[in-house]
Amino acid sequence: MRIPVFALAVALAAAALSAHAVPIVPTRDDEVIDVLPAVNGNRAEERRLRRQLAEAPRDPALALAAAKRYLDQAHALGDPRFAGMAMAALEPWQDDAAMPDAVLLMRATLQQYLHEFDASAANLQRLLARPGEPRPQAWLLLATVRRVQGRYAESDAACRQIARAGAALHATACAAENAALRGDVARARAAFNALLADRGLAAATQAWLRTSLAELEQRAGDASAADVAYQASLRLAPDAYTTLAYADFLIEQKRQAQALVLLKGQARSDAVLLRLAIAGTQAGAASSSADVAEMRERIALANERPDAKVFHGREQAMFALAVDRDAKRAWELARGNAARQREPLDVLVLAQAARASGEPLALQEAKRIANEMGLRDRRIEVLL
Amino acid sequence: MIRRLLLAFALLVFAAGAQAHKASDSYLQIDANDKTLALRWDIALRDLDVALGLDANDDGSLTWGEVKAAWPRIQAYALPRLAIAGCALHVDSTALERRNDGAYAVMLMSSSCVLAQAPVIAYSLLREVDPTHRGIVKVTRPGQPMALTMLTPSDVAMPASTPPEPAHETAGFVREGVRHILTGYDHVLFLLCLLLPSVMRRTPEGWRSVDKLSQAVWPVVGIVSAFTVAHSITLALAATQVVSLAPAFIEPAIAVTIILAALDNVWPVFPVRRVVVTFCFGLIHGFGFAGVLAELNLPTAAFAWALLQFNVGLELGQLAVVVSVTALLFLLRHRPRYRGLVIRGGSFAAMLVGVLWLIERTANVSILPM
Repeated sequence: MRIPVFALAVALAAAALSAHAVPIVPTRDDEVIDVLPAVNGNRAEERRLRRQLAEAPRDPALALAAAKRYLDQAHALGDPRFAGMAMAALEPWQDDAAMPDAVLLMRATLQQYLHEFDASAANLQRLLARPGEPRPQAWLLLATVRRVQGRYAESDAACRQIARAGAALHATACAAENAALRGDVARARAAFNALLADRGLAAATQAWLRTSLAELEQRAGDASAADVAYQASLRLAPDAYTTLAYADFLIEQKRQAQALVLLKGQARSDAVLLRLAIAGTQAGAASSSADVAEMRERIALANERPDAKVFHGREQAMFALAVDRDAKRAWELARGNAARQREPLDVLVLAQAARASGEPLALQEAKRIANEMGLRDRRIEVLL
Repeated sequence: MIRRLLLAFALLVFAAGAQAHKASDSYLQIDANDKTLALRWDIALRDLDVALGLDANDDGSLTWGEVKAAWPRIQAYALPRLAIAGCALHVDSTALERRNDGAYAVMLMSSSCVLAQAPVIAYSLLREVDPTHRGIVKVTRPGQPMALTMLTPSDVAMPASTPPEPAHETAGFVREGVRHILTGYDHVLFLLCLLLPSVMRRTPEGWRSVDKLSQAVWPVVGIVSAFTVAHSITLALAATQVVSLAPAFIEPAIAVTIILAALDNVWPVFPVRRVVVTFCFGLIHGFGFAGVLAELNLPTAAFAWALLQFNVGLELGQLAVVVSVTALLFLLRHRPRYRGLVIRGGSFAAMLVGVLWLIERTANVSILPM
């Protein structure tokens, strides 16, 4: 009797999987089957660039132009297919020690975007070991990668090299960011404010510094200062990162309605949709069930790749915790995620899942990870 | 200028927190029975557009007319990029479908062949367009559970239909074990302390060098076995969460084992045989390994298997250290300065490092670079 039951289960699983696909039966030639994602600028021009690249695949200038263009699009739309296309532009140099410096830097940048942090750092170290001009960009990226991995001492070392490479503002902001993460809040705040005192800064630079300041205040537990800084940043130059960070802040502050308003006009990337689902569920909003269903379907689709839980662990853990209230699953996902990615949000989600699970061992491990990193964050400390 | 350049770059890096839509996947469903195969292959139109330029008028919309006109090119592009060993594939019909991330071209195919138990599938779709693209394969056979496989576009053929993870993980967890023993300096240092006098015998007049290799080997085998058995016991107990000790206790305790082992090389302090002491200290080191194991996020289903692999990796790494160090020490044993320089000097250095680690781990400060 075992086999029929099993076969039935398989049939049901197969039906559930194929339920993702709905047949299209077109009736007219001018019927639109699919709308391609928006491109920056002119579509024909984009195609021309792609054709030129196909004819001269090892032309660094063309390859970099294409990669840059696709990476910008990946950022703007939160769409990883563009990061893959950017990677393809750099493929002709696969494993080539003679890869031009700029190509190597771009590859490391893409790897960072794709959350391949170790590979990104390894390429940066290869680049930085080469003789030549100082490379502030590579050091800045390395500092960022190490920070995201929770390896603050190595990030500090890279920050110092940014200063040596002659980019004082970025070196100061880099060191201040790390100081703030380790709880040296007063000094970091003063450093950011000193940088912001320069009225000649570009709006985007000011916005970047304000966001860093907002995150610092949020971690230090000063909600009103964080709110002011986030709003100032978004007024100066709104970007996807700050919008998401502010949405998380609003959700944390139980201001779900405002979070929903903030996210409404954004491109529905996984990150945006996740926050819509969480804020909507918590606020009991009418739109939330559709957002939750779509997010759930996207997670199911992504999980057809065996490594999806590794690369989307943070988002999946947040969903399991806030929407499904499945603390055990959230803990497993958050723990897997924290093995490679350790931004404050990753550790916070880990701590929240540990607290929700009520497991002393889970709390102990979350605490150990935060201590090991040296991260100081009020939101995490009250949980552990 | 440099500031402007860097700013654009900083924003690029900074904004990387924003995450992902679905990545590019094609779906290959294979239904195999005794004599034939039925296949269904779904490929996203937007991916095909990048490879082939389906959007003839560059207006950003794919109409049925454009897709219909491009069908022969779609098949000519896709079919050579999929091959199942021993099976000639014929396209029987085509269709379109909508998925969560857009419209897909569907090819329904068949083949009069018997699918091997571990079929070899060559897959190179979209390799030049997006190296992060994957093919997701579902194989169903009568009376068997559905098997899922992921294909990475490449020129090399790869076996499919048995999930690839176990093979992956074997190498993965064994490698993690090796890596951990070789980069876990505290465990290596402890082993070194135990090995330093292994080419000597303790006599009432002090250390004397041994004459034959066998005189050194057997004590080493004894000590290494005691360490292995002991740390395997506690690693298993901690990993299965039967016993759990706080890292705040374990980490300093490991430093203490190093200090004591080094001290004993210079002045005998152990009241019992070294092998017994090694066993007790090995228990402590096992808890240290378990801490790393926790970070590896082992699969819950194959937990015991992964644990065993990790431990095998530890032992392999340990064996490499022991064999090379013992061989070196054996060659050096008759040097007049061996006792003074290697045993005493080495032990004092190990003690110093152990004390610094102890301070670091209890006072939570950073002194040593590692």
